[in-house]
Amino acid sequence: MNLASLLSKDRIILSLKPGKKEKVIEDLVYAIKKGTDAELIVSTLLKREELGSTGIGKGIAIPHCRSLAVDKLEIAVGRTTKPMKFNAIDKKPVSLIFLIIAPPQDPGNQYLITLGKIVQIAKVMAKKKLISKPNTPDEFITLINQVEKDLKKRN
Amino acid sequence: MSSGIVEMHLKLLFDLDNLLNDIDEPKYKKIGFKVEQEEKQSLLRTRKALLKKLPRDMADVYERLKERYQRAIAPVDNGFCFGCFQKLPTELLTQTKGMITCPNCGRILYWRKKQ
Repeated sequence: MNLASLLSKDRIILSLKPGKKEKVIEDLVYAIKKGTDAELIVSTLLKREELGSTGIGKGIAIPHCRSLAVDKLEIAVGRTTKPMKFNAIDKKPVSLIFLIIAPPQDPGNQYLITLGKIVQIAKVMAKKKLISKPNTPDEFITLINQVEKDLKKRN
Repeated sequence: MSSGIVEMHLKLLFDLDNLLNDIDEPKYKKIGFKVEQEEKQSLLRTRKALLKKLPRDMADVYERLKERYQRAIAPVDNGFCFGCFQKLPTELLTQTKGMITCPNCGRILYWRKKQ
């Protein structure tokens, strides 16, 4: 399964307002779920952040968790209008956030495979300075598709 | 304590247990997410605190099921328990109060909200 097929336009926010990490995570979760389900997911994601930031460096963060509130892999993407503090491992601010939520039962461990794929793709986007390029969610998906194809050719 | 709050604590406990399982997965570490022992201990303390917030019988059932199956809660989909994949009796599907368990495997059943 390719990453682009898991993305949907209405869950790609390219003008996300920077702010506290908690608030930004909440904004992205609300693009996926509402109400008590969203509250549960936010709580779990913040517990995950307490274990160590999911800011992987180079301006990228990938908050992630499994939750009973979802029945399939759900992804939201946010690009902040200005880089924001995320306590990333390289201490640098973050501007691209991939948020991923997986169901508890996950045949073939698609969750960890997708998580690994996102890390790879996001690193290429940072290295080639592509993060700020897309102007619309459609362009963002096209870019992800392209990076993913290039990576496949390379491997 | 209201049943809504109890349910929220139970679901969070379950999500945290899944988190604890994942961080020990070699695949997870390979991706590059490293979790220090100190932080893991802190999460285990949170887990213990959550367990204490549940009614004693529910906490006992949860722990027993977790010990047996690793995942104590199973979602219900299309009338099936997603833990043992057995069709659930119709009368169970209309039950709305209290902790409902699968008559076949005993897992705590969870109905996802439709959105």
